[in-house]
Order: sequence, then C-alpha cells, then structure tokens
Amino acid sequence: MAAVPWEGELAQELKARFGESVIQTASYLGQNFALVKPEVVAPMVEYLRDAADFDYLVDITAVDWPKRAERFDLVYILYSFSRNERLRLKTAIADGYRPQSVVGTHATANWLEREVFDMFGIEFAGHPDLRRILMPDDWQGHPLRKDYSILEQDQHWVEANLGIESGQ
Amino acid sequence: MRNPVQQSRLFHILRVIFLVDLFQGLWVTFRNQHPKNICTEQYPAERPKVAERYRGLPRLNRDPETGEPLCIGCNLCALACPENLIVITSERNEQTKRKEMVTFSFDTSRCMFCGLCEEVCPSDALELTQNFEMATYTREGQVLTRKMCEEGIEAKRYKC
Amino acid sequence: MPDATFLDSTELVLNMGPQHPSTHGVLRVILKLDGEKVLGTDCVIGYLHRGVEKIAENRTYVQFNPYVDRMDYVAAVSNGLGYCLAIEKLLNVEAPPRAQVVRVILTELNRIASHLVWLGTHALDIGALTPVFYCFREREAVLNIFEKYCGARLTTHAFRIGGLQYELYDGFEQEVKAFCDMFPAKVDEYEELLTRNRIWVGRLVNVGVLNAEDCKRYGVTGPVLRAAGVEWDLRKAQPYSGYEKYDFRIPTGRNGDTYDRYTVRMEEMRQSVRIIRQAVEAIPEGPVMAKVPKVIKPPVGEAYVSIEAPKGELGYYVVSDGSTQPYRVRVRPPSFVNLQALDRMVRGGLVADVVAVIGTLDIVLGEVDR
Repeated sequence: MAAVPWEGELAQELKARFGESVIQTASYLGQNFALVKPEVVAPMVEYLRDAADFDYLVDITAVDWPKRAERFDLVYILYSFSRNERLRLKTAIADGYRPQSVVGTHATANWLEREVFDMFGIEFAGHPDLRRILMPDDWQGHPLRKDYSILEQDQHWVEANLGIESGQ
Repeated sequence: MRNPVQQSRLFHILRVIFLVDLFQGLWVTFRNQHPKNICTEQYPAERPKVAERYRGLPRLNRDPETGEPLCIGCNLCALACPENLIVITSERNEQTKRKEMVTFSFDTSRCMFCGLCEEVCPSDALELTQNFEMATYTREGQVLTRKMCEEGIEAKRYKC
Repeated sequence: MPDATFLDSTELVLNMGPQHPSTHGVLRVILKLDGEKVLGTDCVIGYLHRGVEKIAENRTYVQFNPYVDRMDYVAAVSNGLGYCLAIEKLLNVEAPPRAQVVRVILTELNRIASHLVWLGTHALDIGALTPVFYCFREREAVLNIFEKYCGARLTTHAFRIGGLQYELYDGFEQEVKAFCDMFPAKVDEYEELLTRNRIWVGRLVNVGVLNAEDCKRYGVTGPVLRAAGVEWDLRKAQPYSGYEKYDFRIPTGRNGDTYDRYTVRMEEMRQSVRIIRQAVEAIPEGPVMAKVPKVIKPPVGEAYVSIEAPKGELGYYVVSDGSTQPYRVRVRPPSFVNLQALDRMVRGGLVADVVAVIGTLDIVLGEVDR
C-alpha cells in the first residue's frame, strides 16, 4: 500500500505556519510523517515543541540514497507525551549541506547528531561539540554511507593503532 | 500512655543505635547459609543436564534403519546461515541418479548457534545437539569436517 | 620562586578507563575533579561498536534476527520482539493470539531477568556484595525456562517474523507458574537486605537527581523517567502484542534520585510477575506462526516501531526498498540516550556517586555502541 495523504489538525497547522516549505504530509501504515525543506527543520522542531507540545525528541537518523541528487534523507522522530502522538519529519539534503542543529531545542540531540555525523558525514551547524562518537576520533571515512563497503576499513588507522595488517 | 509519635521516635533511636537494619540484612545472609540452599554445580565432576532444544554443536544425522546419511546436499543450510560458514560440495550419484553430499564443512569459530540451519533443513539431517564442550587448541580445529559432524565430538575428560 | 607545576592546580583529570569493574562494560568516562567533587565528565564510547546497522543492510530479514539479540545482551528477548514487531508492521501482518500471549510471557520474564542483573551489579558497585549471588540464583530459574523453550540462555533468538518458531514445551505453564509463586518472596528478601539499610539509603538518596523536565529534555525514558514522577510506559500508552489486555500498575517515584529508581525497578519486577500470572492463565489455542511468505520482501516503505524494553524506549526504524534485504535498519537504543544524561546527573556530586549513577542508569554497552 502507498502512503496516503494526511490532513489532520497538526498537518493543517504546519502547512499554515510554514507554507511552501512543507512539501508533503502523508501517512504510511498509520504513521504520520511530513516531508519538509531542509532550512525549515530547526524552526519547525522548535515550533512543535512550543506550540504543539512535542517535547520529546525520540531519534535523529539519516538514510543514504546515493543515486539521488539530494543524497541523504534526514529523519527526526518526535513524540508528545500529552497528545500521545508520534510524528516523523523527513528532509532531503545533498552531500555537503550543513543542517541547523536542534541542540538548543532538545538537549538529547547532542549525541544523536554526533552519531549521524560519525556514520554519514553530515555536519550540523551550531553543534557545540561535533566529533566522532562511535568510531575512533581520527578514523577516515563514514561507515554507513552506501559507497563504504562492509569489508572496508581505514587501513592506515588499523596499521598505526592495532599493529596488524588488516582487521578483516 | 506514651505519645505514639514519641514512642516511634524512641523505637527509631533504638533501631539506629543497635544497628537493627544491618542485623536484619545479616540475618538474611545467615539464613541462606543452610546446606539445602547451596546451588553451586560442581563442574566438571557433575555435568549439567541441558535442555532438549539446546543449540550446541552440529551433527549430521543418519537414517536409524538403513544407516544412510540423511543429507541430500540441497545447500539450504548454507544459504540460510547469516555468517555463510557452511560449505557443501555435492555430486550426482550415477546409480541412484540423485544428488549426494560429498564434503561438509562447518566453521564453529564464527557460528553464533542461532539455529537457522537446523530450522531450514528439509530432511532433519542437520541438528544442533546438546554438546557445548567445543574448546580446541587450534583455530583450525574449530572447523568441523563431515566425519566430525557425523560421529560427534566427545570432549576429553580429565580426572578430577 | 619555583615554576608553576601541575600540582598547583586544584583540578584533576581522571580517567575511569574502559576496563573498570563498575562501568558495566567498556565505557570510558573522563572525569574532571576538584578533590572528590566532580566538575564535569566526558563519556567516550564506541569500544563495543560492531556495526550492527551496517550488517543489517547485508543480510536478509530472517538472517538479521539473531544479530539483534546481541545488542542488549542482558535482555535479548526484548530486542527480538522489537525487531519482529517492526518487520511485521512493514508486512502488515499480526502474530496469532497464541504467539502474542507467549511473547508477552517471555518478554516479561526477560524484564525480570534484566532487572535482576541490574540489581545485582548495582548493589555490587555500591558495596553490597551479597545481593548479586541471590539475584543470579533467581536468574537461573528464568534462563532455564528460556533454555527449555528456545535452546539458548542468553542470545535467545526466541521470536520469528510472524510469530514463534517453537511450540511450547511440556511443562511450560507449570514452570512459569512455579516461578511466579517462588519469586515475590525473593523480591521481599532483596528488599529486606537493602531497602531500609542505612548504608544503602545514605548512598542512594539525593544522588544523581534528574527531574521530569530534564528527563524530557534529554529524551530519557524507562525507569529513569518514571522515577522522576512521569507516569508513562509504552506498554500502556501505545500497547503492542496484546498488552492492553493485562492489568498492571506503572510504578513512579517522586524525586528522581537513585533511590527512587531502585524502588521503581523493584516494583516493576513485582508488576511483571502480575502480568505473567495473568498471561499464563489464559494462553489461547491456535497456530503460533502467521501466514508469512518464505522469502520476506516487504513493500517499499518505512516504519518506526518502539517497545518498552527494560532499559527504556527501544525503537526500530526500518526502511525497505522492496528487496529481500533491509535498506536501512536504525536501532534507537535507550541506553545510548540515557547515558547522555550522565553528565547532568553527576555534576556537583562526588566521585563515588559517578559509580552509583552509572549503575542506576542501567546501561548495557552492547546497546550503547551497537
């Protein structure tokens, strides 16, 4: 089944406030999501927290679609305790675009954005401490990109730090 | 009649001075020292009895009546394995006109004993047994050949 | 006049290294101390990063199922439940009622097992050396049930996409009921050891306070959020797998300190026994596996499904491109997000409280690093 258009009250509010920047509001398998333009994500997260009571940022993640021009799909999942409602915000960004960080709105975004940077190489503007979190600090390459094969490794780092030829 | 608030305060002071809460905890520990509460298994003198469905070392079964190997060389276990550690070669038997398994190699060093190979086997040939004692001295010893899978591996018992 | 040396400064940077008995795994915490007071911390994680999300893109849906157990390895059954529910959502199938009830029983047993490990290791870090033995003794009973059911104690691989693989073994109901009868007395025993012990109270009350507003800001869920007073549990808010049929209470705390988290988790163990008792009374007859194709190829799309794992909200965001292998599996780990709040909780406290707070957050590094 395909995504069906979602015209709930929240969708109307977002379209009224952000107008053209909201490309699509739809619902797939009962889960609402909104596809928006990248510049408007940080203000929208703040608006949702203040006006619509979405006070809990569940997750920030990215999906790599290498064949598209806007290569990454940045996904924010928000939840509201009072409304018991979950919302997904998706935005398509190109390689090299620096989205605005939402650390000012939700403190939990600190490590979540660090992980997105570590795994995909998406730099967040305004992040207080953007460095690698899961991989070693001086690792070259961003592992979850599709052009990084599962057997690939930072050869130089492995030889320098582990003293072996290859970790594979 | 003493004031109940004062009475509980006296109780509380006595509890604190005489370490009542600490002795209550110590009494629990003391109670558990009774020999009937010992639950240590003296391995390797007494070996544990593991469940029937335990996912241990693999074994290739033979038909109990004819003694023929049940494996038909369909390669489904190799395809199901998430780690791709089963390697099977098979060739066509000219007499029975059927495919027959020739070599079977199972690498237990990478196996996570998930049981997917056992689940997909159509002829109940591959089975994960209750044998969990699979330590070897070499890395090569972890790769099981067809013979080892059919006969099973007996762990060396030391005197203890 | 001698030159200034490092001894003149009052600040000390101390490394609580990856190998440490109290960090519950390979966690490195760099502490900035002024004597014994903590001025700031910096967590370095990634020592157990195995690239589970990358592996998911190279395995089929069925083949990836055993890998999810290895993230939160203490409570492996919940991870499997979350993953199976996410793929079932994408396929738009639902497990049959019998499978759902058995899933609830196993998941709640797994919650008890996880809280027992938490209690034992947390008490051990604080200095109480006895409870860990008793907790692991009760955990043996739970692990025996898992072993008899699915063949493994820790990395269970208990659930399949669409239901269950194995039918219940003979004696399952009796053993589970016997466990439910035996267990509440043991929880009373742990409480007798700890709850009113002056050392325990002294080390835990007003340590690592995280109030409700900070919990929401940091995205912290699970018992930590409930101890801060927010009565929220995904099993009640967005029920899955038939949880709406069971009657249980959500324990909450008041101050959001470490002692409240202790009482919340002890009460959760009792409530889990209550759920198991209700579930095991009424296991319906029927098949254990829904009609799922042999080769699982969900239609193009994505879904986010989350469950109440023992540590918090465990979410799976799965993107499918119509092929047999998932395009992207993102695991939202509760321990990772909860660990972020460590800095907020220990700042201004003492060094010994860092150990208490790491224990009370109940992190598993397998889940933090994936």
